[in-house]
Amino acid sequence: MIRRDFSERDIHMALDGELPSDERSAYDAWLDANPEMKAKSARFTADRAALRAAVADVLDEAVPARLRKVVLGEVPVKAVVPRSRWWFAAAAAVLLAVGGLGGYFAGIDGIALEDPAEDRLAEQAIAAHVIYAAEKRHAVEVPASDKDHLQTWLSNRVGLKLVAPDLTADGFQLVGGRLLPAGESKAAMLLYEDGNGQRISLFVTTESTENAKGTYAATQDGPEAVYWLDKGYGCAVVGSLPRERLAEVARSAYTQLVNGLAS
Amino acid sequence: MDEKKAAILGEIPRLRRYARSLLRDRDAADDLVQDCLERALVRLDNWQTGESPRRWLFTIMHHLFIDQMRKVNRRGEAAMLPLEAGEAVAQPAEQVESIASREIIDALQAISPDRRAALVMVAIEGFSYAEAANILGVPAGTLMSRIARGREELRGLLDDTARRRAIRIVEK
Repeated sequence: MIRRDFSERDIHMALDGELPSDERSAYDAWLDANPEMKAKSARFTADRAALRAAVADVLDEAVPARLRKVVLGEVPVKAVVPRSRWWFAAAAAVLLAVGGLGGYFAGIDGIALEDPAEDRLAEQAIAAHVIYAAEKRHAVEVPASDKDHLQTWLSNRVGLKLVAPDLTADGFQLVGGRLLPAGESKAAMLLYEDGNGQRISLFVTTESTENAKGTYAATQDGPEAVYWLDKGYGCAVVGSLPRERLAEVARSAYTQLVNGLAS
Repeated sequence: MDEKKAAILGEIPRLRRYARSLLRDRDAADDLVQDCLERALVRLDNWQTGESPRRWLFTIMHHLFIDQMRKVNRRGEAAMLPLEAGEAVAQPAEQVESIASREIIDALQAISPDRRAALVMVAIEGFSYAEAANILGVPAGTLMSRIARGREELRGLLDDTARRRAIRIVEK
């Protein structure tokens, strides 16, 4: 074994895991022979533990939406859009109310805890519907009067060919649409309204790797989502219609959507 | 979603912890992380495949932090002055911190930014000397002396705090 003199410098190296392992026992013997150094090592060790403990909880905090937004954002870097921030907060509140903590973390921090993809899609679609369908003047970003632009814009942003389904046969007129964050991706939301002011929304995202279909209701009296997931895209129709009627409208929307994708 | 972005997202918790040790204040720390992410996205093409996202992002954030600290110093702002024990900024209600945690984070803010960064990088973030030296852009010897001095300084400040507390108790 190499004998050498140790110094305070070695206390730091030992603490930081930089002391060669074959010097460890000689170092320990040196510490034992030098009570002052041993006390110093103990203090530094305790300080390090206190430092780590002081910030340990940060790793468990949900990542703030504004940070995720920077990485995933469809907005140009540096242009922070306040709207997206409150949308996340509002959506989180909805998810918290409906899904308990599991829903909250799945919505805010998709990395940490994964819900089944279809639940996530449905929850996002419902959260968006709850917020925007209730808006009178700010329900959509691009109105139906600018339908061509709406379709081109959303298609480009979301990354699939989006043709707004014609639901007039079901009594619904297109109001317009908007772009939304959806987990780590983007989603298009199309809003429709019938003659009584009843609204439904169509939520389309490319974030899907599995096949599934079904219905999902977050709360007993809240809106319901009818969804389809396929490889490469997912779609949910959300509204507070009677179940059979919603299913019917959703089927019509879905068929047109799929035809549009292939067109 | 693109792999680079996914990798960046995965590093956010670590970046936030590092920023929080450096700046203590939660919003300021997240602002630093946000600046770091924005710069990273602009420079996404500079990121070599195979380079660890953690190392790359920590390097970007360290530069931002040091730049900011220099600006603060030039403007003569008091932002970096150590707080007296007990006058630490009020914490938001949801942040329940022990006194020990608050004291050590306060003390950490009082040591020089370069030493603080070196110490946090190794003692909290667990980088090796070689990795930390690389990220901070200093020779290994410089890094080691910063860590050693940083630890001494931190311990000295904590001893002072304890002493002041003892004096206050005696005065009562």
